[in-house]
Amino acid sequence: STRWSLLRRRPLSSSPNAAPTVGPGPLEPPDLPRLANSARISLSPQEAEEFAPKIQQVVDWFGQLQAVDLESIEPSLRADTAAGSSLREDKAEPFANRDAIIEALPSYDDPYIKVPNALTKE
Amino acid sequence: PSDHQSPPTQSPNPHTLSLPTSKPQTPTRTGVRRRTSPPAAAMPPPLQAHRMLLSHRRASPIPRRRFTAVSSLSSAPAKTLAPGPPASSILSIRESLLSGERTAADITSEYLSRLRRTEPSLRSFIHVAAAAAEREAEELDRRIASGGRDAVGPLAGVLVGVKDNLCTASMPSTGGSRILDGFQPAYDATAVRRLREAGAIVVGKTNLDEFGMGSTTEGSGFQVTTNPWDDSRVPGGSSGGSASAVSARQCVVSLGSDTGGSVRQPASFCGVVGLKPTYGRVSRFGLMAYASSLDVVGCFGSSVFDTATILSVIAGHDKMDSTSSSHDVPDYRSDLASLSLLESKPLNNVRIGIIQETLGEGVDAGVISSIRSAASHLEQLGSVVEEVSMPSFSLGLPAYYILASSEASSNLSRYDGIRYGQQVSADDLNEMYGDSRANGLGHEVKMRILMGTYALSAGYYDAYYKRAQQVRTLVKKSFEEALGKYDILISPAAPSAAYKIGEKTNDPLAMYAGDIMTVNVNMAGLPALVVPCGFVEGGSAGLPVGLQMIGSPFSEGKLLRVGHIFEQTLPDLSFVPPLLADD
Repeated sequence: STRWSLLRRRPLSSSPNAAPTVGPGPLEPPDLPRLANSARISLSPQEAEEFAPKIQQVVDWFGQLQAVDLESIEPSLRADTAAGSSLREDKAEPFANRDAIIEALPSYDDPYIKVPNALTKE
Repeated sequence: PSDHQSPPTQSPNPHTLSLPTSKPQTPTRTGVRRRTSPPAAAMPPPLQAHRMLLSHRRASPIPRRRFTAVSSLSSAPAKTLAPGPPASSILSIRESLLSGERTAADITSEYLSRLRRTEPSLRSFIHVAAAAAEREAEELDRRIASGGRDAVGPLAGVLVGVKDNLCTASMPSTGGSRILDGFQPAYDATAVRRLREAGAIVVGKTNLDEFGMGSTTEGSGFQVTTNPWDDSRVPGGSSGGSASAVSARQCVVSLGSDTGGSVRQPASFCGVVGLKPTYGRVSRFGLMAYASSLDVVGCFGSSVFDTATILSVIAGHDKMDSTSSSHDVPDYRSDLASLSLLESKPLNNVRIGIIQETLGEGVDAGVISSIRSAASHLEQLGSVVEEVSMPSFSLGLPAYYILASSEASSNLSRYDGIRYGQQVSADDLNEMYGDSRANGLGHEVKMRILMGTYALSAGYYDAYYKRAQQVRTLVKKSFEEALGKYDILISPAAPSAAYKIGEKTNDPLAMYAGDIMTVNVNMAGLPALVVPCGFVEGGSAGLPVGLQMIGSPFSEGKLLRVGHIFEQTLPDLSFVPPLLADD
């Protein structure tokens, strides 16, 4: 059976007329094959059928945020409990256990991590 | 018997704790009813203390009070109540080792034998490192023999369970996912490393919902953990294995993680203490990321004191986590006074707000009753308890799921079959990604990645992610305001006690609804402590209910102090599950 998502090469940017406005208004429902492609998950047709109503249900539930008046509320990126940023010195340090990293690689051909062909014909 | 000594002086380096020398205390409370106190001179190791408690229960068949309406609760003042408060297992172990009464090997062997006996039914652990634990215990005994006191670190001989989404070098770490089946990390998570440096023995990796996504462990790629109070019920999640392991005394304490309630809800379901620290209090280095703005490393213990001890060890700034805080780490045990040292109204001047929105429709009557009893108990201890409304409360749930799914869709993109984990071979790279992920990732995880991908799709930012972040601001402000008026806020940790395995698996919204009590706390980054406070009907001995206490950022000390006093004065309740009755 065909794995949908990866055989359909659709552009990842949404089309202009899909841009939603703030406030109630129709948003394009989830296009599962396209989302699965973006997320690099091969969905079987059976899985897509199973997932679609559940995802739709959750997305509808998300929709209740559309009805709330959030005018002039600043979005919070994070909780802001850890005041001030904490960056360490920008100095390279060799990691002590490179062997374990290499050990974990599924396909290794020293010094290359092997992957299949990255380029495919459109 | 509680034997916590008066406060030690604060140690300059929080990672080499100087522990109090705990001299056994003669209980001074009057009216000890059902429980024979052990002789004051001997401090029984934790298991024997439980044995005494349990055997005494068999001898005098007074039914243990489960949930009670407020009016039927004894209104005796705190100092004449005769509770069976948990002693500190960590202190018991320490004393046994220092006095030579027991060896680390003996203690480890006892826990391992109990673990083996209960695991077929509980399935708390994905991986048990029995041989390594025994070896470490023997090494510790050798060091004690030659080095004496100095060899006994603050957590020497203490067996710890570690949630499998925390990296442990030389031990498999799956994140509860098949995609990491067989993966062994190259390093220890900072929290794990700090526990080990304090002398703790990691006994194994506990079960969880895959990558932290779920509330029951039914989302694990490996097994479903059962609740020690009733093996037809869930232990909660996602840190279900860590909670059940401590509840069943398979280990002394455990580490978990909390993104939307994943420490607090299982603590409530399993009748153990669970702590969610302030965001930034504990390093996330080595915690497999689910939602980076919400995740924290948390811990479980069978007593508040033990939980406070763990926090003292793992908290603190870490250069490997840029979101970790440089906020001072006090010795969280220093304010946890012994029962006999408490005045009659130890919570005088403490103002407590009980969150109105958590006591209404959709919450189990038995849970509401337990929380109201707990509030009454807190009042008897001298505090003022008032209802407080938090207006944006219910919006927090969809906002949380938007934020969490969105961040998860990004964080989980690293599981691509290339650098670690299970790889499915394919002819081209995209297919390898797609097939490896399809094969290795579970149903719920795929759902959340897809939902997150949707919410973050070009053009949808305003509608979903941005609005969720605006709700986050509302939730933060709401808590700030309430915590300006009250020292702590209280609520249930979940709308019900543990439900049956399979009950919610087909209805995602029903499952998500259970998180209503907990997610807002993660969005605001606040600390919260869950302490067992009562029971509802169910199982052979009732099902536990936990009281959630929420504080301002970095107020863990205050929460632990209140929690400790609450726990030590709780009337006539024991939270040792019936499956240990034959121990």
